[in-house]
Amino acid sequence: MADSPEQIKKHIKLYLLIGGALFVCTVLTVAVAKIEWLDFGSRGFGTADMVIGLLIALFKATLVALIFMHLNHEKKLIYWLFGFGLFFAVCLMLITGLAFSDPVEFEGFFGR
Amino acid sequence: MEIPYIVEPRKDTGLNNSKIGIWLFLASEVMLFGGLFSGYVFLRIYADYPWPERTLPVLPGLINTFVLIGSSITVVFAWVSLKLRQWRKFQIYMGITIVCAALFMVLKGVEYNAKFHHQAIRMDDYTVIEGHSHKQKNAVGGAHKNLNIKAKSLTVSLSRVDDIYFDVLDEQYSKAGFGLANDVKLTDGTVLEQGTAITKELIDQAKKDFLAALAHNSNINIELGRQAWKTVKSKHPGVKYYELVGDQTLKGLVDEELKKLKKDADFKAETPALNFVSNEEALISVNPYWGRLSNKNRGKAGRLTLKDDTSIIGTIADSSITINVDGIDFRHTITKAEEKGIPKDTAIKNSWLLKSNENMREVWAKHKVVTKKLVEYLEPKGKKPTENDIYRINWQEIAGLADKSIEDIEKLDHKEIEALFPGDIEGFAGPVHKKHGDPDSKGVAYPEVVVPRAQVRFESVFSPRWNTYYATYFTITGLHGLHVIAGALVLAYYLFFGRKMYEEKPEWLANRVEVGGLFWHFVDLVWIFLFPILYLM
Repeated sequence: MADSPEQIKKHIKLYLLIGGALFVCTVLTVAVAKIEWLDFGSRGFGTADMVIGLLIALFKATLVALIFMHLNHEKKLIYWLFGFGLFFAVCLMLITGLAFSDPVEFEGFFGR
Repeated sequence: MEIPYIVEPRKDTGLNNSKIGIWLFLASEVMLFGGLFSGYVFLRIYADYPWPERTLPVLPGLINTFVLIGSSITVVFAWVSLKLRQWRKFQIYMGITIVCAALFMVLKGVEYNAKFHHQAIRMDDYTVIEGHSHKQKNAVGGAHKNLNIKAKSLTVSLSRVDDIYFDVLDEQYSKAGFGLANDVKLTDGTVLEQGTAITKELIDQAKKDFLAALAHNSNINIELGRQAWKTVKSKHPGVKYYELVGDQTLKGLVDEELKKLKKDADFKAETPALNFVSNEEALISVNPYWGRLSNKNRGKAGRLTLKDDTSIIGTIADSSITINVDGIDFRHTITKAEEKGIPKDTAIKNSWLLKSNENMREVWAKHKVVTKKLVEYLEPKGKKPTENDIYRINWQEIAGLADKSIEDIEKLDHKEIEALFPGDIEGFAGPVHKKHGDPDSKGVAYPEVVVPRAQVRFESVFSPRWNTYYATYFTITGLHGLHVIAGALVLAYYLFFGRKMYEEKPEWLANRVEVGGLFWHFVDLVWIFLFPILYLM
């Protein structure tokens, strides 16, 4: 593999940095949810809180995947394999959205 | 057998096989957890009850996040150490990783335990109260919330009777002195005399006899049916069953023939049920998950039917649940009231909880002051209190204001009131109750409410049974916990049994740790999403 001891030594600092970033992001997520002056949008849990919380989580997940799981320099096949799974997971999420177009909720569905 | 391409990459893929294997597995795991997450989203969007948002204790979840992220870092460094051929460092880093995994599971256990010992009741008017139920005074076995009935008679269905229920209730039955209500003649000629005490042997004997008679009778039925068809068909060859013979179908003729044959047949008398009576009304106490009361009004005649169709008839006894309330939620009450066009405040004022209990009225009066102060505080910021703020009273508020009077609270402003509430450390995994009957024990004495069974729409501990939120919470975190255990076992194997491989083929071990580490990072990744979604949203 491309991970020779010399290259790995160079990466140690990066790993620590990413670890630190993950800790900071975790604190940030909780702060946004718990601390009042960081409560965006209306009081309590709302769309803004959801978007911010999920964006931070997505950012953290990306860091873990890219750096810790070495997805930033990986062979093509791995991207295909993982992308394949991710694609279907995302599709499944979108399919639940179809529930919004439940015909029962259409006006006139019951023949009115 | 030598597995090829474990260390050196294959020419066509440019990768070693173990890495392709783990990524294939991770891809399937993404789909598994993705499915569970979308299930959660769906349940939440379409929930027909107020969602319990931000009700889990954040601190254990936060610590667990730190623990998992920390272990993700150490597992990377364990791999780095192996690559640099530093065995000692590898041991240390891998050791920390496994300790982290154990710590994670311990905290998860603390959290689950708190949930499983926390009771919730949805009242008839949809008010939800949470708290700790304590032992019933009169129930047999000192149970917490049994269904109780003063039984006069008892019917055991011999086709469905189940030993599971009988074994537990046997003692109560014999104490009550249940005996056979009438002579029962079995098919083999034995007579079970009136007054014979209820025992397992007696029921088994009658059940055996009943099943034998049932088999005997159905065999005769089948045999006679065949005979009837044979006789009729031989009289009318070639006629189909739906074709008319005179003014009857062939089937009609067969039925007539069968009736004739049955008259002289040797059927045995089946005894499908045994009836027992007791000398005097005796208390029978049954786990609420085992049966159902026909009528929940105490003092009225009624029936307790167990899941094996055993029917206990008598007078409904006190089956109320005594609970120390640490949470009140009126959100469902007001949505249901609005559907009927009843104003919110009227619905709350007329709820059973406030109408019947002085303590609860006081808690609600205090909460109204708290809400008023919150409105005063939020107004200059252009914000409004949420439905959660107004209609849900959580344990922090009840505990924090327990020894304050309404006048005291009136003098404080919102920030000062909030300062009275216990912090995250005091209620690490949830509210701590004083032990019942032990005033010196640690914790808060939460106000007591006695809920009659007639007011209980649904009751449960905070288990998957309570609502879809807890069902998904336990499913996803439970599955994630199993991943943590599995991952930790694999990593522990590398740590404790890897020395020999390290000396012979260090690069192979490094690859194993890398692959195990990839799985570990994935487990961390799932938690990164789980924590905000379940704990903070």
